[in-house]
Amino acid sequence: MRYHRARFVAGFLALPVLLYVVYVIAPYAQAFYIAMTNWRGVSATPQFIGLENFRRLLDDSVFWRAVAHNGVLLVLMPVLTIGIALFFAFLLNVGGTSGVAGIRGARFYRVVFFFPQVLAVAIVAVLFQQVFQPRGNGMLNSVVTALGLEPIGFLSNPDIALWSVLGVLVWQAVGFYVVLFSAGMASIPRDMFEAASIDGAGRVQLFFRVTLPLLWDTIQVGWVYLGIAALDVFAVVWVMTAEHGGPDSSTTVMAAEIYRNAFQYFRFGYASAMGVVLFFFTVGFAVVALRLSRRERVEF
Amino acid sequence: MAGVLYEEATRVYPGSDRPAVDALDLDVHDGEFLVLVGPSGCGKSTSLRMLAGLERVDGGRIAIGDRDVTHLPPRDRDIAMVFQNYALYPHMSVADNMGFALRVMKAPREEIARRVREAARLLDLEEFLDRKPKALSGGQRQRVAMGRAIVREPKVFLMDEPLSNLDAKLRVQTRTQIAALQRRLGVTTVYVTHDQVEAMTMGDRVAVLKDGVLQQVDTPLHLYQHPANVFVADFIGSPSMNLAEYPVVADEAVLGELRVPLSRETLKALQDEGGDRVILGFRPEAVEVVGEGEPAGFPVTVTVVEELGSDAFLYGQYADTADPARLAQTVIARVDPADPPAKGERVRLRIQPGKERLFSAVTGRRLPT
Repeated sequence: MRYHRARFVAGFLALPVLLYVVYVIAPYAQAFYIAMTNWRGVSATPQFIGLENFRRLLDDSVFWRAVAHNGVLLVLMPVLTIGIALFFAFLLNVGGTSGVAGIRGARFYRVVFFFPQVLAVAIVAVLFQQVFQPRGNGMLNSVVTALGLEPIGFLSNPDIALWSVLGVLVWQAVGFYVVLFSAGMASIPRDMFEAASIDGAGRVQLFFRVTLPLLWDTIQVGWVYLGIAALDVFAVVWVMTAEHGGPDSSTTVMAAEIYRNAFQYFRFGYASAMGVVLFFFTVGFAVVALRLSRRERVEF
Repeated sequence: MAGVLYEEATRVYPGSDRPAVDALDLDVHDGEFLVLVGPSGCGKSTSLRMLAGLERVDGGRIAIGDRDVTHLPPRDRDIAMVFQNYALYPHMSVADNMGFALRVMKAPREEIARRVREAARLLDLEEFLDRKPKALSGGQRQRVAMGRAIVREPKVFLMDEPLSNLDAKLRVQTRTQIAALQRRLGVTTVYVTHDQVEAMTMGDRVAVLKDGVLQQVDTPLHLYQHPANVFVADFIGSPSMNLAEYPVVADEAVLGELRVPLSRETLKALQDEGGDRVILGFRPEAVEVVGEGEPAGFPVTVTVVEELGSDAFLYGQYADTADPARLAQTVIARVDPADPPAKGERVRLRIQPGKERLFSAVTGRRLPT
């Protein structure tokens, strides 16, 4: 009986485990190995050089700038995205004027907010290149110049470019989280909001004392997703910014450096070492995020 | 402390022609326990939610005390509500749940603690103050919901079927506790239920609604004894009143071989509306078992006998009749619980004189007697 059950379970597990090993574990193992070679993509037998790539990485100032940019995005992108998405989702579901309902036209807005999510990231990047055009012909700068101000170098000023990237990332992500949080709010019993509004809570208190605590699980999931997305940023930076991460490396991120080293400089070993570092950053972030946000689960 | 006044209050849900609450006129006195009762969909909950401000008022007005609250948001009405599912905040302890309204009002910390403790003592909840709602039983949650209402010291309590999630025994216990508590606190209370026993046992007065229209407001006893129409007569009382339509022939309602004489006033009212039929009703306890020879009686074949210990109810069919309408009717009668008739037995029943109720077959309203 026991034997049969083991065979039964193994029968179901075999295929997924095999796929996982071939497509996930094996590439990781390979990347770890390549990270310890000086492989440049052509020789059949890469030379094993131990931790030399990692030692070089320590002195690579461009890579550390990329790490710092990822760090900034890791903190700000989830905070801004979740904050804005919560605000909109609350308006669409609870914050309306009559009773516990969304504002007028809530269903329309929900669809509109989702639009950016439907666009391919590369298209978003190209679109925003136009929006951010440096002179008066850019969408934003035409407004700026119309107000009589000097045009702003959204992508050309090294001090501003990273914020432009952040803005695009947030703009693109918000819609999905509005929908996610809307679904979360819809699953909170309505009478919870009604009880709170009878108890004297205004919109602000409904939000902070009822909605936020009851939505905590969903927010936590969103936080982890967004954090990982912030560590993985690539397409927006590569397509939109000058010099793929410029000007002067002011917007570059880890993924962009990996791509540059691998496919432009053909330093596959070195790029793999960056990939390994990124892997540990991501795992580390996930562990920390889940630890920090773990609380007693709210049960209805 | 204040009363509640509905004046032609109307609510029409968007997309519906028929009002959910149709020109409701209701005057709840200060300190009164008023029960809104009716079958599901009768508009009782909507009426309550209109008073709470959770439902828009499309016509008429609602006042609490001297203040017109028709268009005020819920939080400005100074009311407290107990929900059917209690709506306790799952992320807060019992104490925080009960003190929530006061915290929102920014009452001083000691004052909140004091009032929560008082309410907890009143409701026997002191040992649970630090627990989360999910760690409580249904009855305890219900009491926390009550406590949350009490702590506020509001002008009006609103209760929306607060007992319907409890088991039968606990429901009976809690029913008396709530009624006693309300009398002790003296706060005006509007209570919604679909259960007419709850309505009868708890309310100072009971308002019966049907299809959004108020049928009758009265004390439980008066409602039972003098129902204003067929609906109220049928709805109030368990088992319900025996009601059926009979032809009127020569000043008498004809129930098969049995004739019930009608008074001059009744006949005049019938004549005014041009009806030659009448709806006659009698309560199960207005019936007595009589001997075979009794001329004012009618024969019934017993189909079921419900023995409850203190009472016994006989469910029977009219015997000796070929009229299919009469055969389809069930007669319910209260009989001596010490000596109930057996199933299948044939008994002769008599309506005690003066205990029958007469209603118009046209309008369903009570006829003068």
